Parts: sequence; C-alpha cells; structure tokens
Amino acid sequence: MSRIVYDGMPIDYEPGDSAAIAAVRNGQHPARGGTLCLAGDCGNCVAVIDGTPWMKTCQTPARPGMVVTRHPNGSHPSPDGPEHHVDVTVRYRTASHVVVGHGDSGRAAAAAARHAGHDVLVLDAADGNEVVGLFEGPALVVRTPHGVDHIHAHHVTLATGAAEVQPVCAGNMLAGIYTARAAARLRDAGVDLGRIAAVGREQVTFHGSDGRVTAVEFADGRRVECDAVVVDIGTAPRDVLARMAPGVPVEVVGAASAAHELPPCPVEGVVCPCGKITVEDLDGVWEKGFRDLELVKRASLTGVGHCQGGVCMPHLRAFVAERSGTVPAPFTARPAARQITMEEAAAGYYPDTFRRTALHAEHERLGATLDRFGGWYRPWHYGDPIAEYWAVREGVSLGDVSTLGKMIVSGPDVVEALERLYPNHVHDIKVGRSRYVINLNERGHILDDGMILRDDEHRFTLTFTSGGAGFAEMWLRDWIETWGLRVHVLDRTVSHGAINVTGPLAGELLRRAGVSDEHRPKFLQHARIHVAGVPCHAMRLSFTGEASFELHHQIDRSVELWHALMHLGEPLGIRPHGLQALFGLRCEKGHIIVGQDTELDSTPRRVNMDWAVKLDKPQFLGRDALIRTAKLPDERRLFGFVMDGPAPLEGSVIHVGGEVVGHVTSSWLSPKFGHAVVMGWQKRLPHADTVLIDDREARVSPMPFYDREGARARM
Amino acid sequence: MRACDPSRTPGRTSPLDGWRVIAQPSALDRMKVPRGAAVVRISPDDAFVICAVGPGAAAPVVKGDPFAIITPEHGFAGALLSAAEVELLALHHIEWELPARRPALAQGRIAGVPAKLDIAKDGSALLLVACAARAELEDRLA
Repeated sequence: MSRIVYDGMPIDYEPGDSAAIAAVRNGQHPARGGTLCLAGDCGNCVAVIDGTPWMKTCQTPARPGMVVTRHPNGSHPSPDGPEHHVDVTVRYRTASHVVVGHGDSGRAAAAAARHAGHDVLVLDAADGNEVVGLFEGPALVVRTPHGVDHIHAHHVTLATGAAEVQPVCAGNMLAGIYTARAAARLRDAGVDLGRIAAVGREQVTFHGSDGRVTAVEFADGRRVECDAVVVDIGTAPRDVLARMAPGVPVEVVGAASAAHELPPCPVEGVVCPCGKITVEDLDGVWEKGFRDLELVKRASLTGVGHCQGGVCMPHLRAFVAERSGTVPAPFTARPAARQITMEEAAAGYYPDTFRRTALHAEHERLGATLDRFGGWYRPWHYGDPIAEYWAVREGVSLGDVSTLGKMIVSGPDVVEALERLYPNHVHDIKVGRSRYVINLNERGHILDDGMILRDDEHRFTLTFTSGGAGFAEMWLRDWIETWGLRVHVLDRTVSHGAINVTGPLAGELLRRAGVSDEHRPKFLQHARIHVAGVPCHAMRLSFTGEASFELHHQIDRSVELWHALMHLGEPLGIRPHGLQALFGLRCEKGHIIVGQDTELDSTPRRVNMDWAVKLDKPQFLGRDALIRTAKLPDERRLFGFVMDGPAPLEGSVIHVGGEVVGHVTSSWLSPKFGHAVVMGWQKRLPHADTVLIDDREARVSPMPFYDREGARARM
Repeated sequence: MRACDPSRTPGRTSPLDGWRVIAQPSALDRMKVPRGAAVVRISPDDAFVICAVGPGAAAPVVKGDPFAIITPEHGFAGALLSAAEVELLALHHIEWELPARRPALAQGRIAGVPAKLDIAKDGSALLLVACAARAELEDRLA
C-alpha cells in the first residue's frame, strides 16, 4: 500500500485509486462536502494538488508522494500563495474526424466515420485526453498527460454521454453523499461506506453532524439513520462541450443529445455547488424580475462557476420551468469545461512580435531605455532627453529610423498608379526629387503619411510611418491589382536600415564622412551616395525641423555606419536621440503623427493640410469624398496652442466656456521657448482663441511653433 | 562577401545574403542565377536568390521584364531543418496545417512570429525569418 499526503496527514491508497477515492477510503471528503460523482462532472472534490489549486481529485490518479490540500473552508485558494509554475507543452495537431468519448455511442460514431473513410481520433478523459474547450474551426483544446493539444478537426462528434443529476435539498452540502455510479465505483474499489440510505427523486432532507450526513428524512416523515446516502435521480446530458460553441458544426450523439426528464423543482438547498448559490438566492432574483434562464443565471451567478452548469443546469431549468410554465433551453457554456491551470490556458499563446532594428544592441550598449512602439523596440531616450533635444537643435544627432515603412515600386504604369493613390501630383516629381504625401482612404480620411521619391522615370521609392508600414504593402498591392495596372511592389521595411543625421551640423558630419557638398542632396532631394564607405540612399527631408539626412542602407551595414558617424561626430558633440526628444522636436514644428494627432475620420482640412491635396487632379483615392465634405461646416480642426508650463498630459480635455470641445493630442514643454506647445482638437463652432486645458489658459497659436519659414531644414 | 549558408544549429538562425527579384512570373521562371545559388520563390512575382552579394559577385539576370526590381537582400535569416525537425516544429509551434504536397513554400506564424518554410521533397526545410524578428523567434523556440 502506498501513501499520499492529505491535508498534512499521510493516508493509504490502493492501486487505481484517484486522490478522491483515496480520501474517501480514509473516511475523508476530498474537499469539504457535497455530493461526489467521481466522474469529473462537478466541482465538489476540487483541492490543491502538488501546489496547483482547483484540481479535480476524482480525475487525478493517486501517486506516491502526492500532496493534496483542501481549499480553505468557505473561501478559495489565495492567489497570493507561492507561485507554482509548470511547463506545459503545446502540440498543434490536425485530424480528419475527432470523436469525443468512447462509450457505446462514441464507438459507434467512430466506426461509422472510419467506414466513411475518415481517419478517426478518439479522445476520452478516461484515457487522459480530456477535451476542455471547443471553438470555431472546429478546434478542440485537449488536456493530455503530455500537456495541451490544440486540434483542428474537419469533423467533430461529441459522444460525451450523460451525467448523474445531483440532489438539491436541505443538507446537500454535507459529506457522505454519493451518486449511484460513484457508490458503485467505491464499492468496486473495496471502499466500505457503512450504513447506506438510498434516495430517489422524492423530496428529502439530509441531517448531519460535524459536516457528515447521519440521517435522511423523507417527505412522509420517515427518518433513516445512515453513514452514507446514495442518490439516484436520473441523468442529464453531459453537454458542456456541445453548449460551448453554438453554431459550430459538431454532431452530438447518444445520451449527450437524448431527451432527459428534468428533476423536480428544487425547494431548498444549494443549487450551484461551485458558487454555493441556494434556492433562496434564486427566489430572490426571480422576485426582482429576472425571469429568463439567462437572466436568472447572470443575476444569481448560478452556472458561471467552474462546472459551467454541469450540476445546476437541470435544477435551474426545472426552477424556471415551474415558475414560467416553459422549459427553457440550456444556456451557453464557456471554456474551459474543466478547471485548468493558467499554464495550460496560456499554452500555445504567443504575444505580439516586436521587431528589433539592426542597431538594437547598439542602443542597449548606449544605455537606451527601449520601448515598444509601432511594432518595434525603439529607443525612448538615452538617459537625457533634453540633452538629446539640444543636440538636434544646436549640434548634430543620430536617430534610428529603420522602422519607417519603405517600398520600391516599378513598372510602366507606376506614375498612373501613384497619381490615383496619392492626393498630390506625382508626374511632375523629377528624378532625384521627392515630395511629402498623405495617404487617404476612399472616404478622404488620413491613413498615413510619408514621402514619394523618384528614382527614375518608372521607379519610385515610397516611405510610410513605422506604424503604417504593416498595411502599406497590402494597400498598394490591393489597389494596383484592382486597377489592373502593371506595377511591381517590393517592401524593403525590414531589409533596409535608416539613420537620420539631423541638426545644424549634419552637413558638416557628412563632409567628415566623405560626402562632398556637391554630392550632398539638397532639401527634398535624394541621392545614392557613399557615407563613410557605406552605400546609402540619402534623403533630404526634416521631421525634427533641422537639416536632416535620412541615410537608408542595407541592414547588414547599419552597425558599421552608426559607429562611423558616432566616431566622426565626436568632435561635434554628437549624441543619439530617442523618441521622447523626437516627439518634442516635431511637436515644435507642428508635424502630425498619424494616429496620435489624427482621428479615424480626420480629413486633410481638419488637420490644416489642404495644401497636400490637389483637387485639380481628375482622380485620386478620397477625391469625391473631399469635394463632398468640403461643403460641410468646418467644425473640427486641429489647433496649435501655447501655454505656460508644465505641458498638459496628452489626452487632456480642452474646455471652452465650461463645455468640452476637444482634447490634447500632443504636448511638449519646449526647452527652446520655455513654455508648453500643444496640439489639440476644437470640435465646436465658433473656434475659440483661448481655451482651458487642465484649468489653465492656453492660447491658439499658428503652427509651426518653431522656424515658421522652414529655413533651418533647408540649411 | 559574407556567408550565405543558413544555420544548421538547432534553434539558431544565420543572416543570409542574396538578391531579391521582383518580376513578371514568366520572366522569373527564366531567371538566370549565379552558380550555386539557392532560389526561394516567395510568390509568383517574387524570388529570394540566396548567394554571395558584393563586389565581383554575379547578380541574377532577368530577361523579358525591363521593370524588374533586382536588389541586394540582407533582410532574412535562415536555418536548415531536417524533416524530423520540421515535424517537431510543426507539432509544437505551428498552429496551421503544413501543405501535404512537397516541395512547397509555407508561410505563416511560427511561434507567433511571421516566417516561411521552404519545404523540400524529402520534408527537410529552409526556415526563413526577417532579421528584425530573428531574436524573438529564437527566444521562443529556445
């Protein structure tokens, strides 16, 4: 005979015992009370097993050294307890036909499926393969001895049989009450239950002492003294899986789909053992007017516990049927059908991927605080964002802009395609020149922004924001194919790195890196040059407001280029800048960030960018909508504001005359000006010149706040 | 020139050198590639030619499409997997069903990371992942 530890005491068990049977064999209830089914249908035997709470002891074979601890009396295991991590392996499998349950109907269904030529996979909890979830697909989540299986099946048959109905009456949470099948199982295991009182569908009361049943009182006044009660009320479909995925094409066969007689309407006792919800509780919600099965469930929380109605459903339906005169259909069950651990629930789950630029290790080496932004890990700052700001405004700085979306488009119809895609003129962009562009959808709303750079007559480079890069290729291809135009598209976002050399000394740094003034592209020009020996596609534009050279290059040269520029820039006081400084710099310039300063329905007019739209073009995406909406009142506008510091939080509410008119989209306490510069919405007419933000006065200001003539970017 | 051999170390990938060629499918079908190059046909109009790139190295030649895009490609990392390793990868890290026919190119999330499997007739495969997501994939497969 072997032993397990139950509530700190060693107890004996026999081969084949579950932890629950071992407990009963030793005169204990495996939890604290309630009818035992020993079939996994209820939650009356859950305990902490080897550190994992909510384990069904009836479904867990006893093994030497197993430590079982009952949940605290009247409460749940503390989530603050010692962490218990178990590695759970996930397996992804596919199957032609899955049959859940291998009783008579399951075997018949499997045989029929094989006869039809299907490969059949039979899963049964008794074999250790417990289906705990059914999802669209259909897809099954299965708890196995090896971990968790996720199975995509072409056909699913549920042959899960029927569960025994548990008694609901006064005293039904005492220990010593067993369903008929459980009692038979215990008898087969050689467990002596002592004096047994047999109970059927009649109304009874269980009496007890010290938490154990000692007698049964029948409606006719008879009283039977006993050590155990065996209850046989009938069965109900074991249909938790079938109820889990309404609309998912699965076949339910055998007792799981058969009509079953409801038990008598309960009049006293605990209906939902998971939540300890009583008939009195149900009466209370009924009196409050919740008179539909779903409403009774939600108001009383009956059926939302870990058995998902496995125990309470027949009684709850009987309760509603008697009061309403109509037998309600069962409610939907939620995964999981059995208690599973967090590790099992999380098995196979992967969080979103955040990409790393080729300079990731460099940023770490420089002490950058990296944050996830636009699908990438990006430097937020390198320890001193204000110093980074001044390096850009007064000296020279490097920014890693490898995350920008980058596309090459080429083909005989490329100009036609771009003219239709973009709201500005494309045909007149000369080779070696570039133009800032916004992308609109058919409704004229801003999707993204970027640059168009002409490489030759029939080839362009396009850039997009880091956040917009993910959709850019799809957007391009979709429209090009829709129009049947002959254009090749190649996404270079993850293949090309980009370093922005920015600041009034940027040109000087390039000179030191071997780029002569004559080879240096001028503002809004671009050129293919070598910088410190690295082939680059150099683009002149400016997001920071200072002279800027975006050096696009093959990512295998990123580190080499970064090192060379940092080294050559040392005498110029170079330092890299992160997003925090960059966002402040661009805020001073009034450059929008699409998605932050724009809303889903922002048109160019609303963000003061009519200049980027050429309505004299005969066709481009969003043109008709822009012409139509131009006739509407000009209510919503993005404004610039200035206010004394500190900078308000982005998202702060903007008030005018006590009314909410909008919110702050960007804000920055400008080191240059010594006050806050703010971008935000006014969405009511008339637009005010003075507003309240954080109960402080803010004055409308023309944008950009910094270098309105744009002279510094052209240096 | 750099190495253009995928990693053979389980769970590790190596950066790959090569060319990316975007062209009309019929032109790509007739593309001439440098001796010893391996070609992964990503889509009918898109090929990744794995070979040396740099001064003195030959580039793929595409005739019949004057607008073809032929450009060095350093954005992928790769690993060679045996058939058994592919099966293990599919079992534990690929939620979707691999194509039954061979050879085949399969594309989708592996351990949640977008990646490609260029599966050979014998079931072995070249695993391709963007260099930008390489570290994430290796961490998840470790």
